[in-house]
Amino acid sequence: MANVVELPAERTLQEESPSLWRITFRRLMRQRSALFGLSILSVLVIIAAFAPMIAPYDPTEVLIGKEDVKKRSAPCIHMLGCPEEQPQHLMGTDGNVRDVFSRIVFGARISLQIGMIVVFIAATSGIVLGSIAGYAGGWIDNLIMRLMDIVLAFPFFLLAIALVFVLGPSLNNAMLAIAVISMPTYARVVRSTVLSIREMDYVEASRALGATDRDILFKRILPNAMPPLIVLATLGIATAILDTAALSFLGLGAQEPMAEWGTMLGRERNQIFSAPHLVLIPGIMISITVLAFNLLGDGLRDALDPRLVHNK
Amino acid sequence: MKSKSKFLLLAAILILSVALVACSAETAQQVQEAAQEAAPTIQAAVEQVAPTVQAAVEEVAPTLEAAVEAVAPTAEAVATEAAAAVDAATGDFVPTSVAAENCDYGGKILSIEAVDELTVQFNLCKPDPAFLAKVAFTPFGIQPSEWIDANGGTGELLERPIGTGPYMIDSWVRGDSIIFKRFDGYWGEPAAAETAVLRWSAEGAARLLELQAGTVDMITNVSPDDIPAVEADPNLQLLTNVNPNIFYVGFNNTFAPFDNPDVRRAIAMGIDKQRIVDNFYPPGSEAAEYFTPCSIPSGCEGDPWYTFDPTAAKELLASAGFPDGFETTIYYRNVFRGYLPEPSLVAVELQTQLQENLGITANVEEMETGAFIDEATSGRLNGIHLLGWGADYPHVTNFLDFHFNANNPQFGAAHPEIYTPLEQAGQIASATEAAPLYAEANNAIRDLVPMIPIAHGASADAALASVAGAYVPPFGATQFYRLDPGKDTLIFMQNAEPISLFCADETDGESLRPCQQVVETLLDYKQDSGDTEPELATECVGNEDATVWTCTLRAGVLFHDGSKFDANDVIASWAAGIDASNPNHVGNTGSFDYFSYLWDGFMNAPSN
Repeated sequence: MANVVELPAERTLQEESPSLWRITFRRLMRQRSALFGLSILSVLVIIAAFAPMIAPYDPTEVLIGKEDVKKRSAPCIHMLGCPEEQPQHLMGTDGNVRDVFSRIVFGARISLQIGMIVVFIAATSGIVLGSIAGYAGGWIDNLIMRLMDIVLAFPFFLLAIALVFVLGPSLNNAMLAIAVISMPTYARVVRSTVLSIREMDYVEASRALGATDRDILFKRILPNAMPPLIVLATLGIATAILDTAALSFLGLGAQEPMAEWGTMLGRERNQIFSAPHLVLIPGIMISITVLAFNLLGDGLRDALDPRLVHNK
Repeated sequence: MKSKSKFLLLAAILILSVALVACSAETAQQVQEAAQEAAPTIQAAVEQVAPTVQAAVEEVAPTLEAAVEAVAPTAEAVATEAAAAVDAATGDFVPTSVAAENCDYGGKILSIEAVDELTVQFNLCKPDPAFLAKVAFTPFGIQPSEWIDANGGTGELLERPIGTGPYMIDSWVRGDSIIFKRFDGYWGEPAAAETAVLRWSAEGAARLLELQAGTVDMITNVSPDDIPAVEADPNLQLLTNVNPNIFYVGFNNTFAPFDNPDVRRAIAMGIDKQRIVDNFYPPGSEAAEYFTPCSIPSGCEGDPWYTFDPTAAKELLASAGFPDGFETTIYYRNVFRGYLPEPSLVAVELQTQLQENLGITANVEEMETGAFIDEATSGRLNGIHLLGWGADYPHVTNFLDFHFNANNPQFGAAHPEIYTPLEQAGQIASATEAAPLYAEANNAIRDLVPMIPIAHGASADAALASVAGAYVPPFGATQFYRLDPGKDTLIFMQNAEPISLFCADETDGESLRPCQQVVETLLDYKQDSGDTEPELATECVGNEDATVWTCTLRAGVLFHDGSKFDANDVIASWAAGIDASNPNHVGNTGSFDYFSYLWDGFMNAPSN
């Protein structure tokens, strides 16, 4: 309850954005699920950042002829009783006799990058298009939003597959396709927020004081449209990782020898019974990463929504 | 509260799923251990029984053969007499024929004539040593002339072929299965199971799971990693497939840098075939020294392939102007074939070897299967392609002539050094006489490297142990009527759904299998070899220079629609495929690939 009382008091005293973020952060810290998501993410980020130090092998190194190890061999962990004379592979080896643990570690790097890049492209283009549409109105609004509607009219994933098929299968094209397809969501959210904020008094005031359209849009309106976008982007990272993994699973995304989780899962899917670790480990990693972003996104939404505060 | 309960729920699900996985892994391991324990005992038992059974069979065989021989002429005579009587009564047999104007069209067949009701004569333009082997191939199956005419060579013919085989089509449920019913008027040994069902599943793991669950009786293509599990399972039998095949790495010499023969030679020396076979092929496979497998007569004439020598390869590549390698693409399709059981793994292995041994950076690109075959065989792939070939009929022409003839664009511009000796050898009936020419062709292939032969793959099908008579022939498909599942219905699972059932116009093994149950050819391959045996023809005899073949047809054979089989049905079936001017030359796609390829082109084709 204390926050609710504090909020208007602070608002009148200081410029609002820093304190809004501080309050949001404080609220976020109080949600266990969001914290859980955040801690998983931190671990993943650390793994990704220090991948070359953590991974015992190069992720693309084929060990045929270098070590006495067979393809698709089960995990061998010395601490758990695997004979010392056998080379240690924490998560076994894959079909091409590469160390799965090293590939998983480097895969974290790729997956996080994928999520960030896709959302960055989608959000930036979505924000630009959405704010132009919302602020300019008229035929520009109509043109942009009908284009977005056309993209939304197709089944999400089918359009992605079609795009990659035309562009040629590669990780970059897969990311581009996912970005293009998630763009309309951002554009729509930004447009609707811009539409409502545009009519607010403080915007009118800025305009009366002679601010240019650009200043009003980028300094007055957009900062206030950020909260829903942040939530959307956090959840969007999860979707982007999942969809890119799905495209890679189908052979349309990351190509060999890149250590991408979706590709690793897809290539070994027939081994679900004979070498389950090759299918389960990348699958679990994808699930955990997506779960972490979803939990964080949910938490952020609750934390950023002033209407939900009363229920807490 | 909300997020807390959500979190708890998630945690519970996570724990449950982990527990589930752990449990199933444990049980699976237990089962496997038990099976492994049991395996030697079973094998010992089988080994003990085997000689006895064989001895018994050998004892019975001559007697049986004698009995059959004693009965056969009589039965045949009766049938012929009956047929003649019918003829005399109706007297309406008007012999037909299909013919080209002359031999200038370049094809092998001049004409096919119905001499009388039960005699068909093939007049060839040039001798064909593989004539009998080719005639036995499923695309040359015989259907009633009336049925072909009624459908204009397409339409219902694609869905419901009418043949003389032991099974007839009951229904084709698209996307699910094809159901066959036993044909009670079959001239030969009747099918064991009254109903046969053909199903399909692209995933090896899914097929094996169905077999283990007993929901299907036999499956094709066990994944190499699953072979030990099948061998160890007392409820299953592993059936090794000995169809001769070749897996090769193809180039196209119209694209740089593969237009330089030294680049191709360098790659040929720089690939460790044995390492590929050792790591990615099931036991029984071997590294290829020639394009044609050695089990095919005259297949392995000439010098064996280059030995693996990365240093020499690197030097050769450097002298060809690429000391630091170059960048290219490895194209492949991710489809299981006996010659390439692990396409994606082999693609990556090749990528690794090219990088390590030659400094060539190759990207791996998986393509959709139809697009891949089309692009590769029409010579439009600018990199390296991974493809293979399984024998259709046991003759060296099926390997060398198909791939290295003058008109095949797959490897770019064809080499006269290779196709000239092949063209000469293709007209010599005697294998020993043709051998030096095949040696010349093989040496030219080795020198010019249009492709690199990598491996002859072993593969295996599997059946329930309770299925009696389960087998995999080296040529053609398993005949369902020979399998006895011990119940009314036999369920067979293959890799993919057939494209159509008018097999004159199909090349895909998944389509030829159901066709072979329904439609019969003049001759058939034996169950355990590539030799032919009589089917709809009791014999086909050639003249001295193998240019005229006369086939005597079996009398008293009925089609599934009750009509009588005669020489005109043979003419109509062949004409639909081989004669481009025939109104029934329509089919599914109209390409009739095997007619044009095995007989060097269509008769009466419109000139462009």
